[in-house]
Amino acid sequence: MNSIEFKKLGITSFFVICFFLTGCHSYILDDAQVDLRDSFTAADYQYSEELLKKFKKKDIYRSKDQVLYNLESGMIYHFSNKYDSSSFYLSNAENEIDQNYTKSVSRGVGAFLTNDNKLVYDGEPYEDVYLNAFKALNFIHLQDWEAALVETRRMTYKMEQLDIKIKGLASAFAKSDSTGKTDWETGDVNIQNSAMGHYLSTVLYAKAGDIDDARIEREKLEIALKEQANLSSGRNLVKSDLSKLQNPNSYNVLLSGFTGRAPYKVQEDARIFMDDYDDKKDDEFYLKFSFPVLKTYDSEVNYVRAVINDSITTPLDLIEQMDKVSAEVYKAKQPIIYSRALIRASTKAVGTKLISGAVREKNEFLGDLLQLLGFIAQETTEKADLRSWQTMPGQAWMKTIKLSEGINTVRIEYLGRNGRVRYFDEFEVTITPNTELELVESIYAN
Amino acid sequence: MKYSLLTGLLLAFVLVGCRPSQKITRINPNTTTDLSGKWNDTDARLVAEEMIADALSKPWLNQFNRNNQKPPVVIVGRVRNESMEHIETEVFTKELERSFVNSGEISVVASSEERADIRDERLDQQANASYETTKKLGQELGADFMLIGNINSIVDEAVDSRTLAVFYTVNLEFVNIQTNQKVWIGNKKIKKFIERRNYRGMP
Repeated sequence: MNSIEFKKLGITSFFVICFFLTGCHSYILDDAQVDLRDSFTAADYQYSEELLKKFKKKDIYRSKDQVLYNLESGMIYHFSNKYDSSSFYLSNAENEIDQNYTKSVSRGVGAFLTNDNKLVYDGEPYEDVYLNAFKALNFIHLQDWEAALVETRRMTYKMEQLDIKIKGLASAFAKSDSTGKTDWETGDVNIQNSAMGHYLSTVLYAKAGDIDDARIEREKLEIALKEQANLSSGRNLVKSDLSKLQNPNSYNVLLSGFTGRAPYKVQEDARIFMDDYDDKKDDEFYLKFSFPVLKTYDSEVNYVRAVINDSITTPLDLIEQMDKVSAEVYKAKQPIIYSRALIRASTKAVGTKLISGAVREKNEFLGDLLQLLGFIAQETTEKADLRSWQTMPGQAWMKTIKLSEGINTVRIEYLGRNGRVRYFDEFEVTITPNTELELVESIYAN
Repeated sequence: MKYSLLTGLLLAFVLVGCRPSQKITRINPNTTTDLSGKWNDTDARLVAEEMIADALSKPWLNQFNRNNQKPPVVIVGRVRNESMEHIETEVFTKELERSFVNSGEISVVASSEERADIRDERLDQQANASYETTKKLGQELGADFMLIGNINSIVDEAVDSRTLAVFYTVNLEFVNIQTNQKVWIGNKKIKKFIERRNYRGMP
């Protein structure tokens, strides 16, 4: 081997090491996200806050992961009852999702050579919708109903735009695809309404005295519930009389309980190795591609109820299956993700074959080595983008009730399939003659 | 030659590195700065300018002056935000109040939130201020009209989300507190067209 060949080998090795290093951070982030999720589901919000600070200090959430950092912070501060901080982070996440519409060319090239973890995380469309739900709840806690209504309106608008947005994503990829060989198709979104958004809007409009708007929102709520029932094989979500929501005098407390966890992404790999067994290395072709698959978490909670002053028991209605809606929305985006992964992997495989083939003609050993390094590079750089909002709950349960003046105890109980209480949260709710709407909020993320 | 080129490059890096991470410049408050496409100070200013000119030039004001021989007293009520953005309506309602007071043609009394503190102070004076300087109870100036209104917005977004048009409409009304009669309705429409780039060079 002459010195030029050694130089070539050195450069190749350098790139391989670079590839290794670029992939490392995404694994560290994945681990950090799991730690955060574990502390959150254990309801240890103080530790979750500490973890966030630690991760920030260690630069685990890099500039490309800021949407994720803000979403997790927003949710942790929400359930730590720090509503102003929560809204601050959730607003940041929303603004960044909006700004990330404009994609970085250099990051795009980097991602094409390695994997999608190089890209700026611009949030899943369902994350963009649900962040507004928690901002709305923040504003209800702060008794700012007008601001809460701004959030529910944004939620409704985003849900209506979802299909358009996902079709738009396909159209954007089609425009940037210079090969013109890929048909950038999407799946259909079979859901255009958020029941939780309409439920909150009905309550807020009714309490603000806009009875007509409350009626319209209640009608949309019923449509949304039918859409969701189709997603969950006709499971009866709501047993209460929803028309009661329109009557602001029939309730002064909104009970809400969140259960389960957000869907999570797992990596699935596909490998193709072709060899015609004639000992010719030129005919070997290896392709690996990795893509994320969204899995829903099976909550151990079967239903949620509230026990008022240790005497009256009332069930909460399953208003939104956030996990099922998220999976449905993600399903529409999935064909795009698969197409991207396949094109990227094919480019890497063909590149390896062409370069190693050309070098092999001059030096067989170096050609074989390059081919091996190419296989290793494909194996190490192909990694599915598993980033997603870890602390988002899976289901939202709600109910409006009227409590009498004075101090009331409200216990939100989470029951498993065997009918046993798996967890409960107790609250003291003070009702005065001036109380219009108190929000009692609880979570059992299991 | 090689060394001077390297030194030059190094110096350029150092200079770029030494540049402050942010630069602050004071600009004229009337300058239009559309950074995000959202409702901003320019929109609030446009609304205030139009509403002030309209409210002071319409016949209701002269009619009231002629019939009552005094300027009308107004109170700022609620301007409801029915849009999809968090809009601080006080930015332009304060501008309206300022112009009304300074014109001398319309008197303005403190709003319900503002007068709570003033009433507390007046009550406090009854116990703690000297007899000569204590302000009397029950001497507040009752408003003739209440300013109410709303802001609405319509967003129209292209399929690829690259372009969107936002239409805001701001309605303000003076309602006679005695009779519920609406004596003036002002309206300002603002339409924005926002274009977003698909790609940028920076990471």
